[in-house]
Amino acid sequence: MSDTHKAAPMVDEVSDFEILEMAVRELAIEKGLFSAEDHRRWIEYVHTLGPLPAARLAAKAWLDPDFKKLAVADGVKASLAVGIDWINGPPTKFGTPSDYCSFRVLEDTPKVKHVVVCTLCSCYPRTILGQSPEWYRTPNYRRRLVRWPRQVLAEFGLQLAADVEIRVVDSNQKTRYMVLPLRPIGTEGWSEQQLTEIVTRDCLIGVAMPQPGVTSNAKRPVHPAVHPIHTGH
Amino acid sequence: MSKNQHDRAHHAKKASGVGDPQCFRGEAGQAKFKNGDKVRIRDLPDIFYTRCQVYTRGAVGRITKVVYESPAAEDEAWDNTDHPEWFYSVVFRQHELWPDYPASYKNDTLETEFSERWLEQA
Amino acid sequence: MPSPSRSALMRHFDLVGQLQPAYHQPQHAPYPDAIDHAKYRALLRSSHDVGGEPDVPIEWEEKEEEQWEANTFATCECLAWRGVWSAEERRRRQNVDVGETQYLALPYYGRWLLSAARIIVDKQYVTLTELVNKIDEVKSRYEQKSAR
Repeated sequence: MSDTHKAAPMVDEVSDFEILEMAVRELAIEKGLFSAEDHRRWIEYVHTLGPLPAARLAAKAWLDPDFKKLAVADGVKASLAVGIDWINGPPTKFGTPSDYCSFRVLEDTPKVKHVVVCTLCSCYPRTILGQSPEWYRTPNYRRRLVRWPRQVLAEFGLQLAADVEIRVVDSNQKTRYMVLPLRPIGTEGWSEQQLTEIVTRDCLIGVAMPQPGVTSNAKRPVHPAVHPIHTGH
Repeated sequence: MSKNQHDRAHHAKKASGVGDPQCFRGEAGQAKFKNGDKVRIRDLPDIFYTRCQVYTRGAVGRITKVVYESPAAEDEAWDNTDHPEWFYSVVFRQHELWPDYPASYKNDTLETEFSERWLEQA
Repeated sequence: MPSPSRSALMRHFDLVGQLQPAYHQPQHAPYPDAIDHAKYRALLRSSHDVGGEPDVPIEWEEKEEEQWEANTFATCECLAWRGVWSAEERRRRQNVDVGETQYLALPYYGRWLLSAARIIVDKQYVTLTELVNKIDEVKSRYEQKSAR
């Protein structure tokens, strides 16, 4: 119902942003600032990204205490085990310009729950998690999470005991973060694949906790695109 | 590189195969602080740009990790990489940051990073 | 380039009127002695530094990505890859230099895009004339396409 009460998007058939985007890209290519091939490769690279490697990293850490130690000590090195090379993976071969190569895995315990925000923009570990959700980019989330984390988490459906330490991590410089949530009860004997499936993107940001049988983010309204991306397949 | 007519590839050359901030390793000299140090966040004048959140200014926290060396964001924001500094991850008690934070949640904390210029011994 | 109608221009002035800064005073551009330390700090603040500002709960939503948004992200990363700017320069331009009104009123990737357009002009890779002409050209390409 929340989808239907909204006015239709206020854009003309071709928006000013679409015009400007094309103009800037064409000029940059004409002037040799980057090549059309560079742009194509970057789009292709972004299409390969998503939260799956980070979910696998969490599952591996649950199953292997030595790997968990490595993940907490050196997130960049641990990422290699799930196929993510922070440095040489992106087309640049020096990391992505916006996400750098400093990655920390924040380990939840029964007494500590981490949740991530970037109050200054919306820094996010795209290299291992893909593009950030829109709500993560809103000034609202960025304003409130650092000061009223319990209220915001409750809005996401997470209510935590008063004696649990909620640690908000504000990703304000070059380090990017993922949360390593607690392995839920009821998953004894599960395989890495089964465990990976319950570690959703929201669990990795810290606004949800994994549960057996829950393999997707909480259902929320989706604002549709006027001209959605072509994924090429 | 601090000049306008600089080599556009300067960062790519330095960081290729190494990564950023790894490419600044060894350039910041001796770290002034270590894990466990109590630090106060300085309230330097705000002009044009900073990545030191106003909500941390004047607050006292504890260093949990000496993270990396890098030019400060305030300089990199103009593509100047001449003076790398040490960066630290600092944890604060929420009631240190927000006087109205509910007393019943006294364990709650917040962690964020600072370049060395923003810290003083507390 | 078609000329705008007077009524379209009047609507423009109405809209621009709504973009006035929120800090309303009897006199804009006040005398210097009206600016104490607190006001100076508030006015000089980096507009991206919103942590701790009061706000009301909203509904958390997901959003489908527009093609131009994906392209803009790639353009901005390619500009950094090839050394036209650093990511921190980009953040400074799109999150602070744009000023309070554009910061809060434009879509997320709208600010990325504007700062990409701005950097290639500021660093003199293209003139503003070239940019304006290119925008006009792309626009008329579309108008011709939709007229067919």
